[in-house]
Amino acid sequence: MAAALLEQVINGAMTGSVYVLVALGMVLIYGVMHVLNFAHGVLFMLGGYLCHFFLTRLTGNYALAVLLTMAALAVVGAMLERGVFRPLQGNLRNQVIASLGLILALENLAVALWGPNALQIKVPATERLVALGELRFPLQHLLIIGVTAAVVAAMFVFLKWSKFGTALRATSQDRNAARVVGIPVERMDVASFALGTALAALGGALVGPLFLVFPQMGDAPMVKGLAGILLGGMGSVPGAVVGGLIIGIAESVSTLFLPTDYRDSVAFAIMVLILLARPRGLFGVRARGEP
Amino acid sequence: MSVLAVQGIEKRYGGVSALAGCSFEIPGPGIYGLIGPNGAGKTTLFDVIAGNTPPDRGRVAIDGADVTGLAPHRLASLGVARSFQECRVFPEFSCLENLLFSGRRQGAGQAEARRLLELVRLESYAEQPAAALSFGQRRLLEIVGTFMQQPRLLLLDEPAAGVNPALLETLSQFLLAMFRERPSVLLVIEHNMEFVMALAGEIVVMHQGVVLERGTPQAIQASERVIEAYLG
Amino acid sequence: MKRLVALAALVAALYAVPALATPYLLHVMVLSCLYAIPAVGLNLMLGYTGLVSLGHIAFAGIGAYVAAWLMVDARLGFWSALAIAVAASGLAGALIGAICLRFRSHFFMIVTLAFGLMLYSVMNNWDDVTRGAAGFPGIPRAPGFTTLESFYRLALSGALLAFAIQWRVVRSDFGRILLALRQDERLALAKGVNAALCKTAVFALGSALAGLGGVLLVSFLRVAAPASFTLAESINAVLVVIVGGAGSLAGPALGALLFVALPEYLRVAAEWRLVAFGVLLVLIMLFAPRGLAGLIAEGWRRVARRSQ
Repeated sequence: MAAALLEQVINGAMTGSVYVLVALGMVLIYGVMHVLNFAHGVLFMLGGYLCHFFLTRLTGNYALAVLLTMAALAVVGAMLERGVFRPLQGNLRNQVIASLGLILALENLAVALWGPNALQIKVPATERLVALGELRFPLQHLLIIGVTAAVVAAMFVFLKWSKFGTALRATSQDRNAARVVGIPVERMDVASFALGTALAALGGALVGPLFLVFPQMGDAPMVKGLAGILLGGMGSVPGAVVGGLIIGIAESVSTLFLPTDYRDSVAFAIMVLILLARPRGLFGVRARGEP
Repeated sequence: MSVLAVQGIEKRYGGVSALAGCSFEIPGPGIYGLIGPNGAGKTTLFDVIAGNTPPDRGRVAIDGADVTGLAPHRLASLGVARSFQECRVFPEFSCLENLLFSGRRQGAGQAEARRLLELVRLESYAEQPAAALSFGQRRLLEIVGTFMQQPRLLLLDEPAAGVNPALLETLSQFLLAMFRERPSVLLVIEHNMEFVMALAGEIVVMHQGVVLERGTPQAIQASERVIEAYLG
Repeated sequence: MKRLVALAALVAALYAVPALATPYLLHVMVLSCLYAIPAVGLNLMLGYTGLVSLGHIAFAGIGAYVAAWLMVDARLGFWSALAIAVAASGLAGALIGAICLRFRSHFFMIVTLAFGLMLYSVMNNWDDVTRGAAGFPGIPRAPGFTTLESFYRLALSGALLAFAIQWRVVRSDFGRILLALRQDERLALAKGVNAALCKTAVFALGSALAGLGGVLLVSFLRVAAPASFTLAESINAVLVVIVGGAGSLAGPALGALLFVALPEYLRVAAEWRLVAFGVLLVLIMLFAPRGLAGLIAEGWRRVARRSQ
């Protein structure tokens, strides 16, 4: 029993890490721009597809492909911010609807370009099994957890101690004050969107070898990343990390006693419960718009 | 029985005490100015009376009936109307539609709405969306809207703020005219001393969340305590 | 008066379509009607009241599955099942709406999204009752409306009913209240509007209309499947309302026609059609936020001005 639990906890830490990457991206964008980017899931999905493309067409090196993917999607993110979200600034409803349009367009673009069937990102190096006591996990599992941990650590250092990171935090706390002290707020917007998108892309690229790449692959992670930031507290970066992990682990552990069909519902149920019981989440500050 | 009775209202926001035992009574119709330095709790008091926020402690009664913590729409149906510091109108509705909506419970018709628009010299804007008006004009529209509700208790939150002197005169005249037509309790928060001293029959001074003093405009302007509160 | 005559002529023409149309065109028209009905419900919620619900189609699903169960398992007649299913959707809307409406803006959207996903999960996984992913087969067409032509007339009647309800609501005091709520809820409260009650009421009405669409859809397809009620379909509903023109009477019709009819006519592959719609939605937000209805109204105004 303990072994089964540990196995699910580690599985959950892996899926949770993916949710953390998505959640971090979304919380960055929400914090700085006060926009909930529902299209984050399709950016995650494009990360998977581009990684596959780079890996098979450009370089046989997985790590390189992942980095190229992050860079490419950071550029896409910057373009989206400039072209779609900035003109709509201040109008939340229209921004959300525009992001719905992006979901529609990009998800179907993937189907149109690559077909409806799943692709596989083959990385033989990470397929081998690693032993943890009695349990065996593909190296990719641990890679995901490890890379995410490294990214989270880098994020913390960046936000807390770098000049740019501090500027981002300042902009998220008070846009006008940031402007007054000379922070180029528009550049912060682009940067947060680019960075957030890169994180989503990383998630998609990491998940590809394990779960295949297909057009709808970003839908569930987007919602679960959302659940993660709600749980952690909207606008809280540590909250996104904790929230994403909790969702992942709760989901996996739930398969021990719930039919696996309902696995997805765990995240939704947590979402609704959090909103009803404690809308500010675990670490959040009371935001406008909360009951 | 007083039209409005406020007893021991306390309200804290986080660590800050906005109202610390605010009490006063308004016996009958009149124009009352509510003044005090920033942070005195004036708008918070309005929010409590109008039901926008419940007090932590204390009681609000209208005509003797306890209305503490009732929702804003219930208070509106009890005859309470208010204007907002930031000036709120329905931007997409025309001026006429704004007024008709405000007066819909009283069955006020177009004739009445147009008459009031004429009193504030906005009749030419009747069909225009409220968003097309200048700030001062919108303020006038907002206040006309409150009168369309035929309130017993009207709370005006800094009606003169941001309004240019020419329109201020129109506003003053309008308020006095409305009061003469239908005497009610007008409670006016103001920082524009010239405006409020000329308008009000009695002044209530608030300071640090409580009522400091009340009296005629002349008495208040001469009061040392009041001057100290503003300067100190 | 002129308008009434034009409208009557349009309605008559619509009913006469089966006499002139190919089965393919009729099929397209039926789908347009079936997309328009929930869109009317969402238009009242989103367009007129400003409630951005991302789970609207889940309520169509509730109507559909309740009707399916009543007709197939409980052996109830079509019309009774329809009435009960629509009432059930409306009731679900009132209950779930009351919960969701405790939240504003972002949070409201997220809760509606979450509820939609949860309902989908139930439809997909509760095999005993909903028959799971494969769907609930054996749903009959309404008695007397079994052919394509007659079902078209039924669907058209449903759509006209929805539009009639929309018109009635928009013209009423309640409609004014909804518009007020959309513009400034705090102000509306100060003017005596019971915001919570009114928003719940429109949520319930919108959900009931969605339910009506849902029942007719599964009666047309003869099967109730979760695939008809996914998040993607809820997004499509938002698309139809926004592109058609949120907050306009004709919006849902224009949006539904565009969404269903145009691509069929142009013979593009399904994916590219949706890519185009996604892009269209973004462009509409950027350049023509009032949608098709807004563009048409603007064009009319320009023509009228020029002719003066």
